[in-house]
Amino acid sequence: MIKKSIWIYHLNTGGCNGCDIEIIDVLTPFHDAERLGVKLVGSPRHADVILLTGPITRQSMEKAINAITAAPDPKFIVAIGSCACGGGIWYDSYATVGGIEAFYKILRERGVKPPKVIYVPGCPPRPEAILHALAYFKGLASKKIKKRVFVEK
Amino acid sequence: MVSEALSFILQLLIFPGFLFIICLAFFSEWVLRKFVARIQNRMGPTYTGSGGILQPFADFIKLLGKEDIVPAFAERTYFTLTPLLCLTLPLTALFILPMTGHRALISFEGDLIFLAFIFTTLTIMVFLGGFLSGSVFSMVGGVRAATQLLGYEIPFLLALFGPAIPASSLSISKISTWQAQNNAWGLWTQPIGFGVLVICLLAELELLPFDIPEAETEIVAGWNVEFTGRRLALVRLGRDVELVLASTILADLYLGGPQQVWIIPPIIIFLAKMFACLLLIGYLKTLFARFRIDQVLSGMWKYVIPAAMIQFIILKLIW
Repeated sequence: MIKKSIWIYHLNTGGCNGCDIEIIDVLTPFHDAERLGVKLVGSPRHADVILLTGPITRQSMEKAINAITAAPDPKFIVAIGSCACGGGIWYDSYATVGGIEAFYKILRERGVKPPKVIYVPGCPPRPEAILHALAYFKGLASKKIKKRVFVEK
Repeated sequence: MVSEALSFILQLLIFPGFLFIICLAFFSEWVLRKFVARIQNRMGPTYTGSGGILQPFADFIKLLGKEDIVPAFAERTYFTLTPLLCLTLPLTALFILPMTGHRALISFEGDLIFLAFIFTTLTIMVFLGGFLSGSVFSMVGGVRAATQLLGYEIPFLLALFGPAIPASSLSISKISTWQAQNNAWGLWTQPIGFGVLVICLLAELELLPFDIPEAETEIVAGWNVEFTGRRLALVRLGRDVELVLASTILADLYLGGPQQVWIIPPIIIFLAKMFACLLLIGYLKTLFARFRIDQVLSGMWKYVIPAAMIQFIILKLIW
């Protein structure tokens, strides 16, 4: 049933606001995500899908964990932008956790079951890409990207 | 005797009762969302059902399936009681309002006072639910709801009892029947009272110019910030039923309620009037930006209460 009505909670974990402006673009009249039953809610307690932007800085990590544990099951995370997907240009910075995979490692260490994640790469991703991720939930669209890990030589 | 009782139970459960009202509530939420979307140059819900008509129902079913969380600091009893009362109080109030004919399902002399009592109890339940949720945001939201009550309560009651004077009855069914028979709609005989009632219902429903208790950009989601799953579903359904209740009050007390015109049955006329009031409320909701809490209180006491009193004086001079 979550496919028919997706309520999203916007969680910025220290991003540069580029992805956040694209999210606003998805919700405002031109793209109008309400067509698909998507609604922006203010409280993580009401959310089904958490839109996570930013590389998860050490300052914001505790708050991000609080927000994610506050959301009721079943819940999903959409990692939006290069930073959230893999740390971006801050992947080895001391000030950030470095992307959602490293963040999930910390979550597992703390005994929190991490929700399923969908990646939307791009810096920033186009609003159409974010809509594609939301349509993927509804089974309206199929996956477009494959996982590939870059190794520095 | 048995068939009478059976037909009453059927009426209570199905036709002007629970099932009809709840379907009407979902439908009117869809109408409002679509209308607001069209004003804002959007599409509104489109893909769930034909034209998105099942969207509110899909939201409700989804919320029923979510995890149910009671926060550690919440007062468990009131946290459970508030969503239940948020739904049952407006449902009870809809039984005393005439919808299908001249007589409501339950009608007695003085049910207007009962209606006023239900409206005040609703706000007090909102305050209790917000205050005892154990979150800072919900506490601020609950206090704001109670503060707002001080502003709109007096003009609301004055406007609610205005139509009772010409009809010289405190029964809603009799008032709407009198208006329909004498062709003296409250909208024409006391237009200021109609305006005051619309403003106060917007404040009571926490719709946009007065959505201070659940201001999303200021205090997250206001008094219902901690509700999840089933509780949130009940709160939202209660809001929808309250929307139906508000438009029904406007249609019954100021627009003559259900009346037979030519061969069109009263229920059709009633629904037309009700949805006209609903669209008026939706239009005002889209048009305005949010006031501050002090602006609401001073505005209510400076302009709306005098307007309601002037209407009352004019009414007394005429009748």
